Amino acid sequence: MLAPALSHADPIQQRRGFGVTHERVLAVLLAAEVLLFCLIGHEFATGKNALNIIGLGVEIGLLALALTPVIVAGGIDLSVGSLLGLSAILFGKMWRDGGLPIGVAAALSLGVGALGGGLNALLITRLRIPALIVTLGSMSLFRGLAEAIARGVDNFTVPEHFQRILGEATAQVPVLAAAAAVAWLFLHRTAAGRSLYAIGFSPEGARHAGIPVERRVAWVYVVSGVASSLAAVMYVAHWSQAKADAGMGYELAAITAVVLGGTSIFGGRGTVHGTLLGLFAIVVLQNGLILADLPKELAGLLTGGLLLASIAVNQILSKLAKKGA
Amino acid sequence: MTNKTNRLFCWKRELSVAGAYGGLLLLLAGAAPDFYAGDKFRTILVSSAPVLVAAVGMTLVILARHIDISIGSQFSICGVVAGFLAAAGLPMPLVAALTVVGGGLMGAANGALVAGLGLPSIVVTLATMVSFQEALRWERQGAKVMGPPDFYWFGLGQTAGQLLVVAGAGVVFAAFAWGLRGLAAGRAVYAVGSDAEAARLAGIRPGRVVFWTFVTMGALTGLASLLAAVRFPDVDPNMGKGLELQVIAAVVVGGVAISGGRGTPVGALVGVLLLASIGPALAFLRIPAQWEKAIQGAIILVAVASDAFNLRLRRHAGAGLVAR
Repeated sequence: MLAPALSHADPIQQRRGFGVTHERVLAVLLAAEVLLFCLIGHEFATGKNALNIIGLGVEIGLLALALTPVIVAGGIDLSVGSLLGLSAILFGKMWRDGGLPIGVAAALSLGVGALGGGLNALLITRLRIPALIVTLGSMSLFRGLAEAIARGVDNFTVPEHFQRILGEATAQVPVLAAAAAVAWLFLHRTAAGRSLYAIGFSPEGARHAGIPVERRVAWVYVVSGVASSLAAVMYVAHWSQAKADAGMGYELAAITAVVLGGTSIFGGRGTVHGTLLGLFAIVVLQNGLILADLPKELAGLLTGGLLLASIAVNQILSKLAKKGA
Repeated sequence: MTNKTNRLFCWKRELSVAGAYGGLLLLLAGAAPDFYAGDKFRTILVSSAPVLVAAVGMTLVILARHIDISIGSQFSICGVVAGFLAAAGLPMPLVAALTVVGGGLMGAANGALVAGLGLPSIVVTLATMVSFQEALRWERQGAKVMGPPDFYWFGLGQTAGQLLVVAGAGVVFAAFAWGLRGLAAGRAVYAVGSDAEAARLAGIRPGRVVFWTFVTMGALTGLASLLAAVRFPDVDPNMGKGLELQVIAAVVVGGVAISGGRGTPVGALVGVLLLASIGPALAFLRIPAQWEKAIQGAIILVAVASDAFNLRLRRHAGAGLVAR
């Protein structure tokens, strides 16, 4: 069982052998992308557009930041997009039909996310069901509950003052920055965060090293749930409505950002700054193509190609590094 | 982990899902006998035929310890291609053959990246899913393709066309259910999925097996797409949206283990039928249709949770925490 997990790239070897990390290459690529769109895009290089780009990336960014520790620990969470939809609908329901103040409803919907994440955590750590399957099932369950509660047609329009508070760059930038800072400090500067790398690399080894594997993994999924509902609140404020199909397909966009950012899908390797670079590489591409009057489908094609190229190069580099060692 | 106990365990799993399906049918017989009166059954069979064909392919891929989430996009592309070929005046058998080959080529692209370069299949097929989907959207911009008259139900009329669709899916299912048990190639898929290194030492080439599994997945997706497309006079370029998750869910409910090497096409068949019957059953039990997805999700979770209580899964202690 362990052989395939050990066969992937050894990050230390890779760094010593080549001095180029995945993140550095991606940063250069992102810079090139920005430069290109500055030249060919109309009004790309404006402060307003920079805020626009962050606004486009905030919901998927929150999901991707929470998914980074999940994937580093060797797991996956496909349910984040659906949980976003369910939290959004319950948020609208509690505010409009429950008569709660909008702030309280928003806070309570974070609890919804914690519960949803808790369900995933319970099934994954207690029953030891593969995370891919658990979150595939809960993805369907959460989206289904959202549709059932909304009865297929209902959506909730939130008041304008709420949109002004949370739905604009003045809130989006600090929220994304704070989430990124928290994720970075946790993953790279705390013992619990570092232990996730050990868990992702080898759960059995981590257990022998005295790491409470189940507890750590469980928390990672609960946090992922809370991040989904935070993204739901930001989504509702951003688009000024809560609907059942909110966040449809966001899970794949977020996973793409994480993997493009250099996190190994097998776990044990990845960084928060890599995820942010991956996220902005995608969002800048989407935004820039539109401003340069190029077909917007190119964004998906290039993202797919970039994703394949980046993991292929990683794989080849790690094979070379292994031969050299 | 002998083959014999593997088998016993497999059938136990399939029988319990079949039992759940039987229970649903009995419940309907008691609560809503009308369910059996009309042609509801036939409708379910015809609409699940393409899903079954794709599920057989997915069974192969998951047995080999891989996954393919690009089949929804492949499905849409194959459907559109079939529509165009038919509109260009090619005879239907040639259209069918070319569609299957087209699917096989897309599967070969996945297979080459996974088996040739050794990249993780979930990332490869995530990338190809996005690329295929966007390429199709660029080309079509969501516009439907109008098929010629002999495209709709293969030009045979509804009854004969439905029969052909169900029979086609049945033949594919029977062939693979038999082949996976009886052919060396079928056993090799199990061997590679159980333990690729042991399979290699036993003289099997795991890379080759994985490559051909993906090619087969693509070809079956092409066939499935054709069987789905002929049900309507025009081809919707979004027809494959969400198919990958629908198919994976059915296969998993049917007891094919995501950790590879365990499961059968029979399980996939029961899974497809069970999940396809939820929607129509809800209508007859007067439960709002919006609950369908939630109930399907709950069924997936209950099915895998009941698996987990089995002692055998406890042996894979570490595997429970890992995605693939």
